[in-house]
Amino acid sequence: MSRDSGRDSGTGIRKSGVCPPEVLARIADLELVARIVVEGLVSGLHRSPFHGYSAEFSQYRHYRPGDDLKYVDWKLVARTDRLYTKQFRETTNMAATLVLDTSASMSFPKAVSKYRYAMILSAALAHIVSSQGDAVGLVAGPRMIPARAGRHNLRALLAALSGVEASGRWNAAETIRRAGERLNRRGLLLVLSDFYDEEDATFNELKRAARMGHEVVLFQMMSREEVEFPYKRDFEFADLETGRSVSVNAGLARREYTDAVAAFLERCRRRAGAEGFQYSLIVTDTPPAHGLRNFLLARQR
Amino acid sequence: MIWLNPAAWIGLLAIAGPILIHILVQRKAERLAFPSLRFLQQGRLASIRRHVLEDVPLLAIRAAIVVAAVAALAGPLIVTRTQRQAWNARVVRATVVDGVAPAAIQPPAFLSQTFETPAVADAIPRAVAWLENAPPARRELLIVGPLALGSVTADDLAGVPPGVGIRFERSGGLPAERSIAGGRVLALERDPSALREPQGRPEDTKGAAGSGSARAPSRAEGFGRAPGSESIVVQQQVTLKDVHTSVRETGAAAPDPFPVDVVCSTDARPIVDTAIAAVRSQRVWTPAANRRGRLVLLDSSIDPAAVADGGPVTQSWIADAIASIARDRDLHAAGAQTVAGLSDPRFSTMPWQPLLLATDGRPVAVAGASRASLVVVSGATPSGLVTPLLLRAMVNALGGPPDLRQAEVLPIPESQLRAWSRPPASVIAPPIDRVERDDRRWLWILVLALLALETWVRRANAEEKTSTYEEDARVA
Repeated sequence: MSRDSGRDSGTGIRKSGVCPPEVLARIADLELVARIVVEGLVSGLHRSPFHGYSAEFSQYRHYRPGDDLKYVDWKLVARTDRLYTKQFRETTNMAATLVLDTSASMSFPKAVSKYRYAMILSAALAHIVSSQGDAVGLVAGPRMIPARAGRHNLRALLAALSGVEASGRWNAAETIRRAGERLNRRGLLLVLSDFYDEEDATFNELKRAARMGHEVVLFQMMSREEVEFPYKRDFEFADLETGRSVSVNAGLARREYTDAVAAFLERCRRRAGAEGFQYSLIVTDTPPAHGLRNFLLARQR
Repeated sequence: MIWLNPAAWIGLLAIAGPILIHILVQRKAERLAFPSLRFLQQGRLASIRRHVLEDVPLLAIRAAIVVAAVAALAGPLIVTRTQRQAWNARVVRATVVDGVAPAAIQPPAFLSQTFETPAVADAIPRAVAWLENAPPARRELLIVGPLALGSVTADDLAGVPPGVGIRFERSGGLPAERSIAGGRVLALERDPSALREPQGRPEDTKGAAGSGSARAPSRAEGFGRAPGSESIVVQQQVTLKDVHTSVRETGAAAPDPFPVDVVCSTDARPIVDTAIAAVRSQRVWTPAANRRGRLVLLDSSIDPAAVADGGPVTQSWIADAIASIARDRDLHAAGAQTVAGLSDPRFSTMPWQPLLLATDGRPVAVAGASRASLVVVSGATPSGLVTPLLLRAMVNALGGPPDLRQAEVLPIPESQLRAWSRPPASVIAPPIDRVERDDRRWLWILVLALLALETWVRRANAEEKTSTYEEDARVA
């Protein structure tokens, strides 16, 4: 069965409400993209996945299906015979920083690149964090947005995201070190990368960030082509970062390649698990909401 | 299945073309940007690639196109039982007509050709060649004519292939007369004033046809005069009509040389010339050019060792000539009157053969062979009767009259015609180029279908190549 089945022919959005990545990739406005992703996502979640230290009562509003029942003011129900939910304004007590891999290897594949997908995912994450009133920041190549709360900061972050292109090489260890040091207090470090570069140095720096008290979350971005290597003919594969090339019969090399990639992914997953990092493998042909939902559900457990 | 042009199978070597194309094309790999090469090993894979063909289905289709085209060129012919029965049901007939053809020849032929000729022997090879080029059918050679003796011989029919049937049909009457070349007689010496141009009027002679008639020739009616010579040669032609034999003599351009060389003393030469003239006047026949004789007339002035170098007889015609001379009655009668024979004892032993004996019991003349010619040594005096008789016997033995029985007008016996006749054989393997319609059209249709399939597969591959590799990934 085709992956496009169940998709509305006019908008490209699936009937389930999940928007496919190729549709999202065509939307230039990252804020809109983030909202589309999050709207299809948060409605099913009952609790905020990001826990702050305190919350201050703000107002009542009518109960809506899906609202957590613990926020229903039962005394008011008894007095008015109507269901009201208490709304709180959470004080900023958590800072999250998004770290994006901007190396050239992230610009693959052409249709929906890993970098574009990471941008969408980052925007959605920033939107979620920011909507909770927490601070969110960004480190993507030369651009750095400090972690702050508020809609204004979110817009600045999304604008910075839009202005960065994936090219050249990426010093992963240095970037992660800078991001960790920028978080003043214990915070959340969200790293989106394919982790091809300097694997040991990268994980050493992540461990160091964890020792600083930060919670580390890894999103390993992979395309389906990298995972399954669906090519059959002879190709001259050119490395996007180094320009080096090898001539390979893809059909013959496929088994060896997929075994090596599977071993690499398993190694990353185990190293992350060993260090207590939350690890998510994101394949770019799946809707961003799916990966994000799985990640948020995992955090709630 | 029969292949009409099996040599075309050499074209299968063309299969190497698609294979080479696939190998060479695959060497040109498409460049594809990829995130990381850390999981790809060039060395091993590149070496493997050189030995691996891709697009095996496309290669198989192209090879099949070549094979089908070559098979079509090879001319397949599927011989079914029905096809073979259809071929055997029809007859291709070549009719050689000597005289008047019959109105209708049964059974009717699928294809026929008539060769009208006065000489059946000449037309048979042409008829056989035409039959060889005929389409598949039972092939028959029909010879129509009076079928006189000699008009068709076993040698003429030996060249007919075994599969070709032979049939004879008599038509018309035997010819009224038949002429053959009778041969040549040695020149007659006549008075030049008596010479005139040949008139060619035949003269009939009563009696049975045969060598007897020729041996007793009729009077010569015409003569030819050789330019610059007083000698006259005569060419004889014999015509037999029923039991009547006519002989027509015509002059020849040059006199034939006397076939016997005479070795004698100078004193005896005039006598010997007279004897030769006497022999010429006897109208003896000219022998073949390779049959020569030598007569040595021994006397005291001739050394026998120098001129009589006789050896053993090794050729049959020399043996026949010696036997013929030895049977000459006139010669024996003249030899019986000779008192003394050859005194040299060498001529009484082998290899010399005595021809006639003198009254003293010694041979008067002996014969032997010398360098493929007949040698006769005579001890008789040149002026005696033995010498001209010996010369005549030698000339008759070397040549002899032609066999005029060949000129007889008789039909070939029915038993002989039945022995020569045979039915046409069934068609087993038709001639390669003679089949009207073979089965190569089916293979050409297959070639077209395969070409269409090849085009479709090639376009599908091209579309797949140009499509995004993301689609490939999803399919995978």
